[in-house]
Parts: sequence; C-alpha cells; structure tokens
Amino acid sequence: MPSDTISHLVRDNYLIARLRGKRSHLLGRQQLVALSESKSQTEIIGLLAEGSYGPELSKLGSESSTIETERAVRLGYAESVMSLIRASAGDTHEFLMQYRRRSDAYAIAGLVVFKAQGKTWEEYLATRQPLALMNEQELHRLYSNDDLSTIAREAGDRHLVERLKGFAMTDIEGEKASLLRDVINGWGEERFYKYINEKLSGPDRENCLPIAGSAIDIANLTIIVRSKIIGASGIKDHLIPSHWKLNQRAIDQLLAATDVTQALDVAASHEYYSRILSGARQKYEESKSLSFIEVALRRYQLDLSRRVFLGFPYSVGIVLAFLILKENEARNVAAVLAGVAAGLPADELRPLLALQE
Amino acid sequence: MAIDCSTLSSVTLCPTFWAGLGAGLSVLLSAIGAGLGIGISGPAIAGAGVERPEVMLKTFIATILAEALAIYGLVVGLLSVFAITPTLTIEKGVRIFAAGLTMGAAALGSGFGIGAAGSAMASATAEKPEIFSRAVISLILAEALAIYALVTGLLLLFTG
Repeated sequence: MPSDTISHLVRDNYLIARLRGKRSHLLGRQQLVALSESKSQTEIIGLLAEGSYGPELSKLGSESSTIETERAVRLGYAESVMSLIRASAGDTHEFLMQYRRRSDAYAIAGLVVFKAQGKTWEEYLATRQPLALMNEQELHRLYSNDDLSTIAREAGDRHLVERLKGFAMTDIEGEKASLLRDVINGWGEERFYKYINEKLSGPDRENCLPIAGSAIDIANLTIIVRSKIIGASGIKDHLIPSHWKLNQRAIDQLLAATDVTQALDVAASHEYYSRILSGARQKYEESKSLSFIEVALRRYQLDLSRRVFLGFPYSVGIVLAFLILKENEARNVAAVLAGVAAGLPADELRPLLALQE
Repeated sequence: MAIDCSTLSSVTLCPTFWAGLGAGLSVLLSAIGAGLGIGISGPAIAGAGVERPEVMLKTFIATILAEALAIYGLVVGLLSVFAITPTLTIEKGVRIFAAGLTMGAAALGSGFGIGAAGSAMASATAEKPEIFSRAVISLILAEALAIYALVTGLLLLFTG
C-alpha cells in the first residue's frame, strides 16, 4: 500500500468521515429547484435557516440587499471550508491551503474590475472573497493603487504581470472586464493545477487532475472565445500555458477561428470536451452570453466529484470533490438569491444553476 | 520428567522459554492489532459522529470488535501461562509457542483489517446511514480471521 494511502488512512479518516457526513447534508437537486421557485429572498432565507448557511443568514436584517445576502452565503461556504482546514493536518492541510489560494485570484480579479469601474473600497469590501488568504489591509493597500501592473506584481507573480500586459485600468469595461477577470482567475486555477500535477502522486493526483485540468482548459477556451467577442488581438499572451486535454493543436484551431460561433463549433467538436460543450453555438446565440460555459464546466466537475466519492476512499480527491460540491452549492444558492431578487422566473433561472443529473 | 533449563546448553531447548515466548507474543501482538483497529477506526467514527450523531453508537461496533482481539490474545496468553508446569516437555512448549504466535499474528492482521474496514464503514454510514447493515459485513469477516486463529490456538493448547 503506498505511503500516501496509509497516511490518508491513518491521519485523514476523521476528516474523510466528516466530509461524507457533510455531503449528505448538501442541498439536493429538488431542494434547489424548490428554492428557484421562491417568491422572495425572505422565503429563501427561511428555507435555508436550518442548513449550513443558517448562522450567517440569520444575522441579516429584514431590509438586507442582494449583495449582503450573497455575502452571507459566501461566508457560510467559507466557514465550511475553514472548519475543514482546521480539522486537517500534514499534506491534506497543505492541499486545502493551496485550494484556498485560488480565492486570492478571485479576490484580485474582483478588486481590479471594481477599481476599473470606479467603485469605492466599501463597495468592493462588501463583495470580496472571504476565503482569500490576503487580508483586508493588503487588499486595501492594493485598492489604493492605480496601476494594474503594480497590483499584479504585488498580489501575484511575474506570470500574472506578463499575462496582464496589454490591459490598462482606464480601458476595462463590459466584455473586456470579463476577459480580464477570466485571465486573472485562470492564473489562479493554473497555480492549483500545477500544484496537483507536480506535487501529488498516485490516487491523489489521479482523482484531482481531471477537476483542476478541466478548469484550466475551460479557462483558456473562455479567454479565446471572449477575445473573439471583443475582437482583441495578441490573445496568445493572455492564455494559460499549461494544458490538460485542450492541447496546443486545439488551441491553435480555436485561435484560427474567424468569429465566436466558429470558435464555439471548434470547441463543441473537441474529442474530449464535446461531451460538455455540445450545442455551444446555439446556447450562445440564444443567450448572447458565455455563462453557459461556466455552468457546463461546473456540471462536469460535479459529475467528476460524484465519481470520486464512489471510488477509492483514501485519497485527497475526496476532499477536493467535496469542496467542488460545496462551492457549487454556494454558487447555486447565490444565483437563486440574485435571480429571485431580480424577478427572474424559475424557468429562466434554472439554466443558470449547475445541478446534478 | 521435569527439565532443568539451567543445565541446558542452549535456551532453545528449554520448553518454558518457548511457552513463555508464545504467551507473551499472543498478548503483545493481539494488543497491537487491537490498537491498530481502534486507532484507525476510532477517528473515523468520531468524524462520522460530528456530522451525524445518530450513527455514532452503531458504528462503535468497529472498536468493540477490535477490542475483542485483545481479549482473544489474553485468553490464549493466560491459558498458555497456566499450561507451564514443571513437567512441561519441549514438544508441549513449542505447541504453546505456536498457539501464541498464531493468535498474535492473526490478531495483528485482523486488527488492521478492522481498522481500515471500520473506518470506511463509519464514513459510508455517515453519508448513507441505510447501508450500515451491509457495510458491517466486511468488519465481521475481518474479525472472523482472528476467530480462526483462536480456534487453532486452543486446539494446539489442548490436544496432543
């Protein structure tokens, strides 16, 4: 029996048992569908009062805004992850900290986009990632900086600085802001992918690689397709250099596409990703948005996570699979809250949720 | 005829040495096996209990079965000690040693099995409490290994 497996068996079985118990308490498909049919935020908060989001939601007042409610959901999710980090030890603790580092990229992306849109520090603070390792003081210092390159250097590394060349704080709006966010988030996903690819081995690597690998591939796909929407050039410099199944040949084909729809057709015919991107062109033409790609990725990762839970029990893959399920639940709840607040009917809201089949 | 071990050219010819070693190994290895079983399954049972307190009591069966291994070892060990008499022959001494080694080694393996299977059973029960009755079968099979050794050990002690 490899040493990694023995260490998970002897050291992590408390954590793994807790994760399996927690998994049984996650919101199921029917519950999320029922939430999406709610008439008001208050009704949703009432339905979630007994669950893991209850403690944070109960702190909200009756006049709470959607942003405050979504933040409460994010805090509930962050508390679940933090409790796992506190209960973990050794390599598993390190793995969880690496997972948490991904949130730094989300925090930087949010910060840059808010800053570029001229929003105040307080407005950003209300939406910031509670899981990020960067504290409020560091973020505030970054927020007072007007130069994108300096922010990238201070909060990230030289790879991020290189990938953000060509962007300027004064020129970020609409789809370009989304592109910038994709590039920064992709940088965070790549750090996590590299950690799994280079530091893990055996069942740990085998179980985690498809989840992290699909995230970087889809991030690259999104960056290319979005660049086609805005007609950006020199997009190669913004791409993640690591690949999993979307290899250089496939990326070259995507880059060679003349427009968005052709790029989506290329993606939908990819030998590996055709299973999650079939009908991509039609979905884009109907919604004029790329959010369906993110939902497709989340659905695929849910499927991978479900398979990890059914497989070999002593691997760090169980931890990642649970985190994916929990993160997806939090995103679904946040989407329901935002959708209901915006008066979206249930049948329009449901396609925005990543639900398990 | 009684054998005076102090007059022997080698300790390996002394029946009391073999019988004592067998008794000691039976208790020692069984205790290590029980410790492994409890040590591995215990944290998982605690973890399952944190998220689903209602399943904690029934998943305790893993620690109880692991503890039973130490009792089997103690039984063989004590019976071995009681069998050490001044008239002990070298053949009987080696039989007692074999009984102790059989019990101890089997309990060690069984303990690891109970630990691993018990840990998985606690995790699985935390996720789906309804599968407890099926998940517990692997635990019982792991425990059966030690029972085979107990039977063999007792036969070695009381026959021949």
